Amino acid sequence: ESADPQKTAFLLRKRWTLYSVTPLYKFSGAHLRDYARLLSAFIAAEKQKGLAVEIGVELDIKVAVSCLPDLKGSDHDPAAILVQLLSRSSFSKNSEDKLIWSGWFCCVSGDNLLEKVPEDFTWLPLFLANGAESYTSIVGSWFQKTFDCCFRRLAISPLSLSWMAAMWTGCKVDKTPSAIELIFSVPCLPQPLDISYAIHPEDAKALWDTVQKTPGEITQEEVDVFMDCLYSHFHRHFKIHLSATRLVKVSTSIASAHCDGTIKFLQSKYLTGVLMLLTELAISQIQ
Amino acid sequence: MDETVAEYIRRTVLKIPRGEIKSMLQKWGFLSEAQLQTINFHQMKDNVSQEVVHLCEENSVDIKQAAVLDIIYNHIYPNKRMWSVYQMQKTGEEPEIFDLQSFKKKFKRRLLSALGNVTINFREYEDNAIWIRVAWGTPYTKPNQYKPSYVVYHSQTPYVFISTSVFKSNLPLLCQALVVASSYRDIREMELRSHSLNSLKDIVFKRYSQYFQTHCPRPIQDRSEEPESADLRIIRENKSEKERIQRVTREIFGDGPQPQLEFAQYKLETMFKSDPTMEVLDKKEPFRCLVKFSSPHLLESLRSLAPAGMADAPLSPLLTCITEKARNNFKIKEKKSSFPEGFVSP
Repeated sequence: ESADPQKTAFLLRKRWTLYSVTPLYKFSGAHLRDYARLLSAFIAAEKQKGLAVEIGVELDIKVAVSCLPDLKGSDHDPAAILVQLLSRSSFSKNSEDKLIWSGWFCCVSGDNLLEKVPEDFTWLPLFLANGAESYTSIVGSWFQKTFDCCFRRLAISPLSLSWMAAMWTGCKVDKTPSAIELIFSVPCLPQPLDISYAIHPEDAKALWDTVQKTPGEITQEEVDVFMDCLYSHFHRHFKIHLSATRLVKVSTSIASAHCDGTIKFLQSKYLTGVLMLLTELAISQIQ
Repeated sequence: MDETVAEYIRRTVLKIPRGEIKSMLQKWGFLSEAQLQTINFHQMKDNVSQEVVHLCEENSVDIKQAAVLDIIYNHIYPNKRMWSVYQMQKTGEEPEIFDLQSFKKKFKRRLLSALGNVTINFREYEDNAIWIRVAWGTPYTKPNQYKPSYVVYHSQTPYVFISTSVFKSNLPLLCQALVVASSYRDIREMELRSHSLNSLKDIVFKRYSQYFQTHCPRPIQDRSEEPESADLRIIRENKSEKERIQRVTREIFGDGPQPQLEFAQYKLETMFKSDPTMEVLDKKEPFRCLVKFSSPHLLESLRSLAPAGMADAPLSPLLTCITEKARNNFKIKEKKSSFPEGFVSP
């Protein structure tokens, strides 16, 4: 199922920082306006305490909380919730609100993995934020206090990155696809070394197509074979064992993901697919 | 005085680290020692630069004189720029005696006749290096002093080091002017780039020591190794293999410091070969890849890979040939020979 590209276009081409979130207690989709008001008051109070981010800038911050009904994998998924912070400069009354921070909670195809969530709890395990870290911190604190939940940065392991590389290589893209780029880091040397290994998308896809045996299904073994092929092609030329280095970033036409837990969506067609994978990672980090 | 010149001087002085401003102004020599004495170099840089500008106004500075200060700054801090290496080719005749005045005249004439609005400065240094600064304009606009190109030409060699501004369209003209002025036939880019100008010179002038000095081997005590344990039951694993790796790495990289490069890039157009039992890709066409190695000091990090266990020793010739071939940008195709592991780099 893919979401309406028009409605989700604003999510593309931004770098989102990922968090896992524990279930929210007594959260209701019917009270979004109230939450916006309360969060707004909270931010104003934090500003008074001197904890806001922009020094010397008079920002009047408006909060908008809305629902993103299209970002679901199945009907069982709770609706995704979007929080936006907008600023209106107190000097020019006629200027438009400027978006300064966004964060959204979602759960895509979580029902396969979630145990039965008790009543009174809403579980949106994946949180994505874009904007100043200090705002993320303030919004996160409010949610933690109000709904008794817990946010944690979501790290993406090299193993998960390899899955993404294999999966995304196999995806068909309408426009001219960009290269499959893998970035490896070798930090523990006297002088750190970064290796960027970019494969022509047609050639990478041709390789993956011969590795993947069952359409619609991917096994760990297939991912391992795919990566081993890439590693051994590299070794043939440079005599370096990429498997001994650390895979830190994967970039394709579909999306780009970094082990620090950031993601950039590049194709609306595959947005829910990537979110499904990230939801799975978030849930396994919590459990 | 032209306001743009004043602003240019102000901004140039602001770039200089505070402790260096006085010595750089002295090297510049445009302000007298007496004038320099009147400047308080301990105040905020903003104020220092304002004082310098006022004194320059007193001396009626023009843009060409101001540009000299920029050359001096770039000569002391060349690593702020990215340099590419070019090699000029002679016609095969007897090498002419280099005439500096003739070179400058021909160079200026070529650029001025093509563009009109350019600011050209030359400055010679002791090691036969000629620094050339060119600020580019068009027939209708004044030269942009903030995006000049720099050329370092060692007149006793065919090598030129160029740091271009963003206006890459001026590069052919620049190259043409160099060739005409130095009486060479042609110029080609060497596929060698780095921020470290001195390292580029080391590589191209072969000033590094690559080979292990067999005639004066280092005594074993010199190397910092773990002491042999007194308990004979404790032995070092793979001792002979580790020693082999050290020896082979030393043979390739030598003992001395490596020239400083920040990256090496390889465009691979070789075939994908796999274990036939794996039933994977067996195309007749190349498996196209682009590989880029980056590091603050690439060659040092490559040198440490095999000893760290991340690579085989000897390391691939694709990596170890960088200094010898004087390039860090390669296109690798499959070698059509009976030796399947060979690669050819055009």
